[in-house]
Amino acid sequence: MRHGLILWREEELSLSDITTRQARLQQAIAAADLDGALIYTNHVRSAGVTWLSGFTPYWSDGLVLVLREGLPIFLTALSKRVGEWVKSVAPTFEVAHSPFPGKLAGERLSKVGAKRLGVVELDRMPGGVVDEIVSSNPVELSDATQLFMSVRGTADPAELNLVRVTDGIGHKAFAAGDVTSKSAGDFTGPIERAVRMAGAEECYIAVAPDLSKDRRFIRSGNAKLGRTFAVRLSIAYNGVWVRRIETFSAVAEIRARFSSVSVGLDKASLAHPADGSVSASYLPDGARLIDWHLEAPYGTRPLKVIADAETPLSAPVPYGILTTAFVLDGETIVASRPVGLGDNVLREATK
Amino acid sequence: MIGEIRKKRLIEAMVDAGLDGLVLYGNAWQNDYLRYAADFGILEGEGLAVVTRDGDVTLYLDDELEGERASVECPEVKTVVADNLIETVSCVLGRLGNSRIAAGPKRHLPYGLAARRGDLRFEDATALVDRLLMVKTTDELAAIQGAARLADEGYAIFRDAAAVGKKDYELIAEIESFFRNEGVDDNFMIIGVGGPEVRGMAPPLGKVLKPGDLVTTELTPCVNGYYVQICRTLVIGEPNEAQRKVFGIYNDALEAGLAVVKPGVTAADIARAENDIFRAHGLGDYVTSEYTRVRGHGLGLFPDTKPHILEDVNTVIEEGMSLIVHPNTYNPEIGYFVHGDSLIVRADGPEILTKTPRQLFSVDPRRAAA
Repeated sequence: MRHGLILWREEELSLSDITTRQARLQQAIAAADLDGALIYTNHVRSAGVTWLSGFTPYWSDGLVLVLREGLPIFLTALSKRVGEWVKSVAPTFEVAHSPFPGKLAGERLSKVGAKRLGVVELDRMPGGVVDEIVSSNPVELSDATQLFMSVRGTADPAELNLVRVTDGIGHKAFAAGDVTSKSAGDFTGPIERAVRMAGAEECYIAVAPDLSKDRRFIRSGNAKLGRTFAVRLSIAYNGVWVRRIETFSAVAEIRARFSSVSVGLDKASLAHPADGSVSASYLPDGARLIDWHLEAPYGTRPLKVIADAETPLSAPVPYGILTTAFVLDGETIVASRPVGLGDNVLREATK
Repeated sequence: MIGEIRKKRLIEAMVDAGLDGLVLYGNAWQNDYLRYAADFGILEGEGLAVVTRDGDVTLYLDDELEGERASVECPEVKTVVADNLIETVSCVLGRLGNSRIAAGPKRHLPYGLAARRGDLRFEDATALVDRLLMVKTTDELAAIQGAARLADEGYAIFRDAAAVGKKDYELIAEIESFFRNEGVDDNFMIIGVGGPEVRGMAPPLGKVLKPGDLVTTELTPCVNGYYVQICRTLVIGEPNEAQRKVFGIYNDALEAGLAVVKPGVTAADIARAENDIFRAHGLGDYVTSEYTRVRGHGLGLFPDTKPHILEDVNTVIEEGMSLIVHPNTYNPEIGYFVHGDSLIVRADGPEILTKTPRQLFSVDPRRAAA
């Protein structure tokens, strides 16, 4: 579930930002000769609805129905009592309640005489919901994932600014970790506290506890920390997800080197495009790249691996999280940074 | 170990039902079915476990990072990362031909999976798995007992952290940090802060604690996949007369509900015992769905599992179930109030798991946030 602060923050993501996104999707729906689009949400598959409305359910699930005109409708099995909370944190759609939200969607579609409905990630829709829709309205369903991504793939300034803010929360929070900690939980507990104190919506932490043995990340707080280890912070803030990985050591000399590399990556990532590449200038001098991948929001997924050494980027993304693993002076370093946030990108988005 | 025990039970249930295969869906919200078979606590993306009657379990995940984690955290299960999860699993099932395959949970099973199965159709595995989830083995109950200790310790942290000037999300930060230190994977937690205007609990809203506020919380740590819940209410400052009186009613309702718990009664019997206390005080309206959702529920691999404790649920309570009884609801005089304890159903009645005293806690109003 989402445990953190879920709030409508007009100064960071305004009603105008959201209605602009909604209008862009409505134009695409009309251009595709659809009567509407449907996007599913729960706290795992939240990204589509969050982008379109600023809302993430902390629990349970729901659907957002976007017709060619008018305010989108959030259809949910959450109670009317919870509905009041939903309206207070997302004044961007109508909220409608039913134990069978799919049935309610079908009825709404029937009311406007809809015949063709695009569904984002149709294959992944809960089967029970699809059954409810078609049982109350024999509408033709088609997959609208590409249509949605064609609209959603373009960044806007509000989103890019939120990515920067969220990454800043992670950057500061890492300072709370005590590198002399013996176990992963001892190191990450204060970091998670710092992230949540900064008003984050959610925070997941994973650790590669001993980089000399294994680069894989796990969630066990009881794992013993090795001479070098890496921590992955995944932070949600105001609907935007960012990952940041830092590598640490209890050995002062190694720690100083890691710290210097981290500062260099912060500088390099600011200008790096989210285009599925890793330029030579991105990594520190003398580094040998082992592996990399690029993540980005995709469909209902907050972050998904969309490119790596074998797989090129297939479509533009609003921003990316670039993860690299490399060897420098005999030490393995893993790092993640947001990319595609340069001033030039922001200027383009503002236009 | 516990995963192996569950797998054995699952296979036995499949064989008894004459099934050749099972397909179980899961995500971080609805993970109990998937975890029962594959013992993986999924966090991002979605997963499907395919189980065959010969005991083979394969976990299919659509997230590369989760696949990497599964390979370390549950190495005994074969894990496949498949970007096109539905297509991949459909192909696997296609190779099983027209065997008897059941899938669940029915509502959440991805549409594309059923659509590709076409006329062969899935049988509904929901009832079969729900029964396994509700009535637990000795090892599962031991895991639940372990989680209960952390629910109590977590509430003590919560109580100690509450202070005038503190924001609701800062309280949660303290709890989550404590739980991570203790190796707790997950925690279901909602909160309410204020007075009669508070009609329920939700994630934090940035409210600042002030003297006179009621602070309600449901705290539900997950240890090795098993959730245990505690519900308590505290007051910032000395409770007033109305708050004391209302606490007495909720405490009576909790104790009335617990007194009924034993094998053979129904979920409705427990709910009725709780609600009768409210009705006796003229508060019958406040036990309806307009003000409250359930009067308790099952606990296990999901924090809100069956049976739901409601007057219209006739599920028979059995030995080996784990439940929380909580007469949580709105009170018109003082606002939303929560009070509940987790338990295991034993042959002779409930074994209460949470040990935090049943009292209306008070926080010194001079205690200010740092």
